[in-house]
Amino acid sequence: MDAVIGFANAVFQPLIDLGAAPMMTIVLTVIALLFKVKFTKALEGGLKLGIAITGIGAIINILTTAFSSAMTTFVESTGLQLTVTDVGWAPLATITWGSPYTLYFLMVLVIVNIVMIVLAKTNTIDVDIFDVWHLAFVGLACIYFGANIVVATLLVVFVGVMKIMNSDLMKPTFNDLLGAPEENPMTTTHMNYMMNPLAMLLNKIIDKVLPFLDKYDFDAAKLNNMIGFWGSKFAIGIYLGVFVGLLSHQTPQQICTLAFTAATCLELFSMIGSWFIAAVEPLSQGISDFANNSKWLQGRTLNVGLDWPFIAGRAEIWAAANILAPVMLGEALLLANVPFPFSPTGTWNGLLPLGGIIAMGLTPALLVVTRGRVIRMVVIGAVLLPVFLGAGTLVADFVTFTAKTVGAFPDGVTGLISQTTMEGPVEKFLAFFVGKATTGDVAMIIATVVAIVVYVALFAWYRKQMIARNIEYAKQDKCTLSPLTTGKFTEEDLKAAKEAESAKANA
Amino acid sequence: MIKVLAACGAGVNSSHQIKDAIESEFKNRGYNLHCDAVMIKDVNEEMLSQYDIFAQIAKTDFGFEVKTPIVDAGPILYRMPAMAKPVYDKIEAIIKEKGLN
Repeated sequence: MDAVIGFANAVFQPLIDLGAAPMMTIVLTVIALLFKVKFTKALEGGLKLGIAITGIGAIINILTTAFSSAMTTFVESTGLQLTVTDVGWAPLATITWGSPYTLYFLMVLVIVNIVMIVLAKTNTIDVDIFDVWHLAFVGLACIYFGANIVVATLLVVFVGVMKIMNSDLMKPTFNDLLGAPEENPMTTTHMNYMMNPLAMLLNKIIDKVLPFLDKYDFDAAKLNNMIGFWGSKFAIGIYLGVFVGLLSHQTPQQICTLAFTAATCLELFSMIGSWFIAAVEPLSQGISDFANNSKWLQGRTLNVGLDWPFIAGRAEIWAAANILAPVMLGEALLLANVPFPFSPTGTWNGLLPLGGIIAMGLTPALLVVTRGRVIRMVVIGAVLLPVFLGAGTLVADFVTFTAKTVGAFPDGVTGLISQTTMEGPVEKFLAFFVGKATTGDVAMIIATVVAIVVYVALFAWYRKQMIARNIEYAKQDKCTLSPLTTGKFTEEDLKAAKEAESAKANA
Repeated sequence: MIKVLAACGAGVNSSHQIKDAIESEFKNRGYNLHCDAVMIKDVNEEMLSQYDIFAQIAKTDFGFEVKTPIVDAGPILYRMPAMAKPVYDKIEAIIKEKGLN
């Protein structure tokens, strides 16, 4: 074993010593070549990844340097322990893709997907390679908290299987929301829909306790039109820069600097995020071609797992996100001094919402569960946002450590970075428990067992609810029966149900 | 130059895939076409009016009447050339019909 490790170190250490950007350039290029991507395309992708990692590091540097002294004064003057900078999704994605383990988890999840298709446990082929980083993040966090690679892989596979199962369960709802025919192959395995079980639970509670809420629903598109550019990234950067500047007693000139720096960084994070996605594109196409041409999948009609925004045309997603932004700010302030011993700040929330304030990691799940009832989306979202704030704070140490490892965090700057609304907050808590349990901590082992049992039970209950929903779609001829979407409901059951409904209507 | 707009959740992933695919295909077909990718939340009536074609991923509710010709570009994201071809053909048909080239 020592010889193997020694050999691996001799081969890989010089590569690691080059730094994250050149290392990932080489690693991504080689992996793409393995999937028969043309050399020039593979190298182009590799170089773009290196550039994206370097670029994101530069923007984090600008943001954290500008805000570090103001945030220290902010904490002193307000007493609120909001010391973690919310950098939004793009830096976290880039940092995660800056780790070679992410490519390893990608390979594992591709295999899991193919095995599930072959065993008829799913009808979805996932081509959203880019978003594998959400689950890789969970695996990396699990390792950071103490797990070994085997345990982290098991956790990634465990959540990955549920994500893929969920894509089949949600498919009829997507057709309904899009007004699309059943032949439409679009679905998604995106991590943000793993909030569906919790959201579904709260939705059921609203059914029982607050059913009148739906009477107050409004035209979401009209609200979005009224908000206009005031809800855009740069406008939010300006507001929050002014907010921090005022509360930390900065001069007008300093307040303007903070506001424009925040606005600029939020725009640049997205721009660099697009470079990074372009970097992964040749590999994504290579893996898709590999899967599509695979002899095991021939003759199957499959749904296609996309990134979540094929549903982004629904105005309710943005109306709810716009309303939830100030709600989250208020909750972040309220939770800033609530003790939580496991988090690096010692509090439930250490994040002042900035880059993640538009809760895209949550509102698509709310749309699927409520099927577009905006008031419910807002109420459920307000209840669930603290879970995101807690998870974002819990992993702040890990994110900052990883950013430093890939050279994306400035030297000499204190403080932490993370994201307020990153997809999969529950899974981050799972990663924490599993990681700590691996170290042999008995209390954590018990907590992990309880957490996993509750997680699985909640998903099983949610699956049952979705199957019931899909059977209703089947009765309206909007869904074909399948064990993956309608469970054990048979053609005979469907015929009997339709006859019963017809008889009831005639009576 | 033909101007196409693609939009998605963050304006960086799906919309960029559509942008790259459309630009690449129409370069091969001999057209001078440029496609912008934006966050769908930022699309308004004025912005949309400046484009010749809106390449939406799926049905989109903006809350205003869209006068720009719309093409369902979602199949481009399936990463299967045969499924993307009808999308390109539809765009080309609009270009010819409107005399955009």
